[in-house]
Amino acid sequence: MTYSPAVRDHLLAFADDEHLVGARHTSWIGLGPFLEEDLAFCSIAQDELGHGIGLYGLILDDDVELDAFALLRPAEDYRSCWLAELECTDWNDSLVRHWLYDRAEALRWEALAASPDPAAASLALRAQREESFHLAHAEQFMSRIAGTDSTGRIADSVRRLAPIAAGIWDPTATEDDVLAEGFVTTSSAQLAARWNDLIRADLARWGIDVDWDDAGVVGAQQHRTQRSDGFAAFHADLQRVLAVDTSATW
Amino acid sequence: MNVYEVFLKKPGRDEFRHAGSLEAPDPEMALMYARESYNRRGEGAEMWLVDRADVLVADEADLDVNTDKPHRHNDGSLVAARRRDRREGVGGDE
Repeated sequence: MTYSPAVRDHLLAFADDEHLVGARHTSWIGLGPFLEEDLAFCSIAQDELGHGIGLYGLILDDDVELDAFALLRPAEDYRSCWLAELECTDWNDSLVRHWLYDRAEALRWEALAASPDPAAASLALRAQREESFHLAHAEQFMSRIAGTDSTGRIADSVRRLAPIAAGIWDPTATEDDVLAEGFVTTSSAQLAARWNDLIRADLARWGIDVDWDDAGVVGAQQHRTQRSDGFAAFHADLQRVLAVDTSATW
Repeated sequence: MNVYEVFLKKPGRDEFRHAGSLEAPDPEMALMYARESYNRRGEGAEMWLVDRADVLVADEADLDVNTDKPHRHNDGSLVAARRRDRREGVGGDE
């Protein structure tokens, strides 16, 4: 399947988000708050990386090497949002990011599942099965610790990360063309409105009283063409092993 | 946190087998963690979880008294040997 440049960019944005958030989640391997959670969270990370591979697979020609494309592109060629790039060294932040991201991810897969493109729709259907587990995990963990968040650390994470998460809905520059083609029928703005309702309903249900200011991330990302501050170090880290010998066969 | 014992059953006629245990704050999360801890590769088609607090544990001393009773290991082999011997005319003193 050959996609138009607009659709390709739209899918690339999703693929890069999945890849990078999955890679960020993996930083908890062996460090999770307890063994069972370590395994569960790393399963989610692995699923996100798998989704990234699936999405890259849609847009890459057969002769393009996946690892090189995913890891060795120049920074300006990525279309990730800043939430996916963000380093979360604190478990509260990672958990809150996971919840904010997966709430959005589920909506993005839902939109893709309705695409007339059979390859994209079938990938979305498969991903939705895993996504229901991710959402259940986020709901279960957040609902349990929310009631005991006496230090307000969860609320603080939400206050800092929700504005960055809004950058998930920064559309690629040519999203109007994607909609005009009919590849998907819901715009990022429409999904953003639903996402906003969902996360606020979650917070109300969990009894977390928090509000936040728009950090201007959506504008600063400039249709996902600008990388966040920590990206260069993250990118170098991801490339570390592959760069030892780029001609090696793994 | 509670400890839960996890049992898995493969498809077909195999019985449930003990897979291991895990810690979780409540039953709902225990089921989620059990799936991720013991069924990551689809090892089972069915899963049971039992709160360890609900497991009745026998006194090991009560079990120990039955370890030296070979007469309870009757598999019929002694009877079979005697019948064979009679058939073949060996012994035959009965």
